[in-house]
Amino acid sequence: MLFAQGLVKRYGATTALDGFDLAVAPGEVTGLIGHNGAGKTTFVEVVTGLARPEAGQITIGGKDALREPRRARRLLGVAPQESALYGTATVRDNLHLFAGLAGLARRTARARSIALAEELQLTEVLDRPVGVLSGGQRRRVQAATALIGDPPLLLLDEPTAGADPETRTALLDAVRTRAAAGTAVLYTTHYLPELADLGATLAVAQAGRIIARGTQQELTRNLPGELRLRFPQPPALPDRLRRTARLQDGEWRIPSTDAPSDLAALLAAGCTPTAIDIRRPDLDDLYRSLNPTEALSHVA
Amino acid sequence: MSPESTRRTAALVRHNTLLILREPGSIISRMILPLVFITLLRPLYEAAQGKVVGTEQAVVGTLVTFSLLALSISGGAILTERVRHTWERLRATAAHPLEILVGKSVPVLGTMLTQQLLVLGFGVAVLGLPVAHLQLLALALLCWTLALLGMGSALGALARSQSELSAAYDIGGMLLSSMGGALVPLSALPHWVRTIAPASPGYWGVSSLHAALAGDAARTLTADAVLLAFAGAAGAVAALRLRRGGGRSARL
Repeated sequence: MLFAQGLVKRYGATTALDGFDLAVAPGEVTGLIGHNGAGKTTFVEVVTGLARPEAGQITIGGKDALREPRRARRLLGVAPQESALYGTATVRDNLHLFAGLAGLARRTARARSIALAEELQLTEVLDRPVGVLSGGQRRRVQAATALIGDPPLLLLDEPTAGADPETRTALLDAVRTRAAAGTAVLYTTHYLPELADLGATLAVAQAGRIIARGTQQELTRNLPGELRLRFPQPPALPDRLRRTARLQDGEWRIPSTDAPSDLAALLAAGCTPTAIDIRRPDLDDLYRSLNPTEALSHVA
Repeated sequence: MSPESTRRTAALVRHNTLLILREPGSIISRMILPLVFITLLRPLYEAAQGKVVGTEQAVVGTLVTFSLLALSISGGAILTERVRHTWERLRATAAHPLEILVGKSVPVLGTMLTQQLLVLGFGVAVLGLPVAHLQLLALALLCWTLALLGMGSALGALARSQSELSAAYDIGGMLLSSMGGALVPLSALPHWVRTIAPASPGYWGVSSLHAALAGDAARTLTADAVLLAFAGAAGAVAALRLRRGGGRSARL
């Protein structure tokens, strides 16, 4: 549904996108992650036509987004990172506008607005001005404006940033429902557990390009987990493990890619723990492992 | 125009009309103040220029001055979109820039025309202002309003904050209307002002309205052509500025 290849975008001396490649299939939720400045938002701007790349190609549903931007954007629903709603207009008015812009007839727009408000728990505030809503409610309205045209591609740029748990649950449910119905979803976030909840595949952006792509399991496979151990008395750890070990809250934490052999080495060195916890690597570890200046060679 | 394009444009016109109606304060003041202004100052103009000429100067001058101050309506409509990031949101939809422009302009144009019709209607109905040629007057009003719309859009696209916009329409509006002979007849102003007056759209607005009220088609059409040129130039500045993210500013 979304196919981007070799995108290059510069702002003065800064290269925001440097050969950015990404494809999202129908029904797939792709989590685009990376540190601030990795190129995520620039990529979203390029897809939505707000920024024009110097090189590369991008298609949405087979439509060339650079040559036929409006045809391509017909297939797109966007919820940008910053709140972009009409504060003096009601929730219903905002939804009607974006329904109209998606080409829906007024009757359909009215029916969809009511259904979406129900789905995102906005029915009670449907006739209130957006400006008086809570941050979480505004987040839901913003997402609703992206969903109202029922587009085959959704771009959700940090849709749950600062949102309360109720909002997060409602939004994640809405995304899951759309994906199950075949909508391709590109989802940027810093809240990594959400991506696991959504069963998203991941695209890791760094320095303007995608450096890793795959499932959570594939991308974290080679990352170190952690051995968490308690000892009755200070242990004489083997040199190899002592270099990376740290003591926290009376618990020794040792990064480990091979827990059984590291445990065997500890026992051989006479260190017998009274408690053992083996923590597998997760998305937070993947995120932390991103070095803004170096490529993630072990997962690339 | 495809049915989808019609729907998008209609949705934008409806929505922008609604936004104007939701915050009517500044519009009401721009409509009421000129009526108060005319009522209070007409005796002064009549004393200086005689009853008929004085009344016409009071009505036309007030109309041009307060419609220039109403640049805040068109400028504010665009600046607000930029400040609230909704401009980019609109650009990220399938809407053609022309649809967005029409959707934005039609309600503003309607508001500005209403303001001017109110002032003129007051002049005609209450003060007995004679109108020699109604169609010419309608044309003059339309061209003047289009020039205002263009200028307001350019200000809204160029301003980096609400205070910059306020300064631009307060100072600019007063300057352009004074320079154009709206507040004080040009004949009473220093020679150097008369020399530079044609550089002000206000001058052409005043000329067009005076000519239309007198039924002088040639003078009206000449002034209207200049006003349309102002409208086109200012509209082009606004469109260029807003194209491809140019509407962003570090202060927004």
